[in-house]
Amino acid sequence: MLTGAETEVVLLSFQVAGWSVLVSVVPGILLGWLFARWHNPARALLQGLVMLPLVLPPVVTGYVLLWLLGRSGPLGSAWHSVTGGHIAYTTAACVIAAAIVGFPLMVEGIRLSVLGVDRRLEDVSRSLGRGRGATFLRVTLPLSLPGVVAGAVLSFARALGEFGATIVIAGNIEGQTRTIPVAVYTLLNAPGGEPGVMRLAGVSVAIALVALLVAFWLGARQRRRVSA
Amino acid sequence: MIEMRTRHSVRGFTLDVHFESAGPVLGIFGASGSGKTTLLHCVAGLLKPRDARISVNTRMVCNRPGGTWVPPERRKCALVTQEPLLFPHLSTRGNLAYASGAKDALESDSGWKIVDVLRLKPLLDRNTASLSGGEKQRVALGRALLSKPEMLLLDEPTSSLDAELARDVLSLLLQVKLELKVPMLFVTHKAGELMALADDCVVLESGKVISQGAPVNVLSKPRAIGVANLVGVDNLLRLEVLRHDEAGGVTLLAMGADVALAAPLCASAPGKTVSVGLYADEVMLCLENPAGISARNALACDVTRISEMGHEVLVELKIGLQSLRARLTPSAAHELGLAQGTHVVALIKTSAIHMLG
Repeated sequence: MLTGAETEVVLLSFQVAGWSVLVSVVPGILLGWLFARWHNPARALLQGLVMLPLVLPPVVTGYVLLWLLGRSGPLGSAWHSVTGGHIAYTTAACVIAAAIVGFPLMVEGIRLSVLGVDRRLEDVSRSLGRGRGATFLRVTLPLSLPGVVAGAVLSFARALGEFGATIVIAGNIEGQTRTIPVAVYTLLNAPGGEPGVMRLAGVSVAIALVALLVAFWLGARQRRRVSA
Repeated sequence: MIEMRTRHSVRGFTLDVHFESAGPVLGIFGASGSGKTTLLHCVAGLLKPRDARISVNTRMVCNRPGGTWVPPERRKCALVTQEPLLFPHLSTRGNLAYASGAKDALESDSGWKIVDVLRLKPLLDRNTASLSGGEKQRVALGRALLSKPEMLLLDEPTSSLDAELARDVLSLLLQVKLELKVPMLFVTHKAGELMALADDCVVLESGKVISQGAPVNVLSKPRAIGVANLVGVDNLLRLEVLRHDEAGGVTLLAMGADVALAAPLCASAPGKTVSVGLYADEVMLCLENPAGISARNALACDVTRISEMGHEVLVELKIGLQSLRARLTPSAAHELGLAQGTHVVALIKTSAIHMLG
């Protein structure tokens, strides 16, 4: 079984991943919908920007975040002058790092499932007196919900595994920013840390497997529903 | 009912139309690719043409460039398409109650009338996935009517259904027209449907209006008949009235020298020319002149051409100066040994002949 410190690490990881999904789900839905339905040359640029963390080395993403959110960074110093606090090296920084790297998976999942919704249903809805917003909430969103959940599950799993950006922007502070991957890295460098590594690795594999299965199942459900 | 002047180009196709119509049912007729659906989408507001003036029931909904633009949700023009497009995540009741205000409408007397006319009551609590094609289309029609539209936009609502269900939906539309009195813009490529439902008709060809008028008049013009022949094989004849037999309930029409067609009694004076329509399915062929039959017409004729199309055979006949088409099954054509030049007798019930004016 897990030791007290390890349990703390797992719980913190879940908190960080959970918050990262919570803060990104609404913007994820909006951008996923925009990328599926908006036909404008500017879309490609925006889409590339959102997808960037998927292909960038996470350490580089972390460095960019540090540059933005660090004490002397433009956002970090503005935050400090308003609230008096800091973002870098806090649990909030973990959440931000996890949200940024998980975001492309979320947006892409939602975009694909919005693309699967028959546009003619939206046309009919509008001809029945429902505006763009109401049509989105009553037709598009419910029909793409499995994709939203699948995207959220994948980005949750990705957030749990986030290491590179986290270590740069949030560091390795026990109880605050030491998530599963950071803890594994720490244990690997400590003498006698191997059993702890094994336990945390087992937890990681189990969570990732469950998340992937849930995402696949939801994807299949969506396809069945669209073809029905 | 509608006034429209629109120029809209999309991917190399240009819709350029100008017409007005008092309806109440305006048919938009044309072959596929003639711009019927584009026109309908302009009225619905689903397309935003650069240059257009459209008013529905005297309300300006689009005056561009520069002027009014009413978005689709505020036009009160409810769309019913070829496929029913029911919302798959909602129940039948949820679909019917979808439009704004439809939930209350469904509980009201006028709502119940719609449910009644469309025979929706037994469908209310069923899952939409379990409905048949015809039932789905009835629900789609009910959903549109319950939005209390100023106008119904019907985009070939029967063409995904087989012949029998299509006739059922057509008769429902006729009831909707007569009992609920909802104006309609009715896109179709079937001449029969046009004649049954529309009061006025616009014929489109390559994005342009080539004629407009009562369906009867429009369809009797050769150019439009060309369109009708493209997609249907109805017989459309222009015949002279010989005389009326009031006691017998028939009017005799000249098919040629000494050949008369007994049609339902009509008001046109002898010597006038009338249009009649006749489905090719309603013509029965016989090798010999039968005795003791109720059908008023047993016309001797010659087979001029036989064409097989899938599971049906189209036989073209010459009667006097007129030609007529009959649709048979391949087995019937085979059993009768029909060939070009065969003498046959065409049997037609008087009631199968539709007086078109």
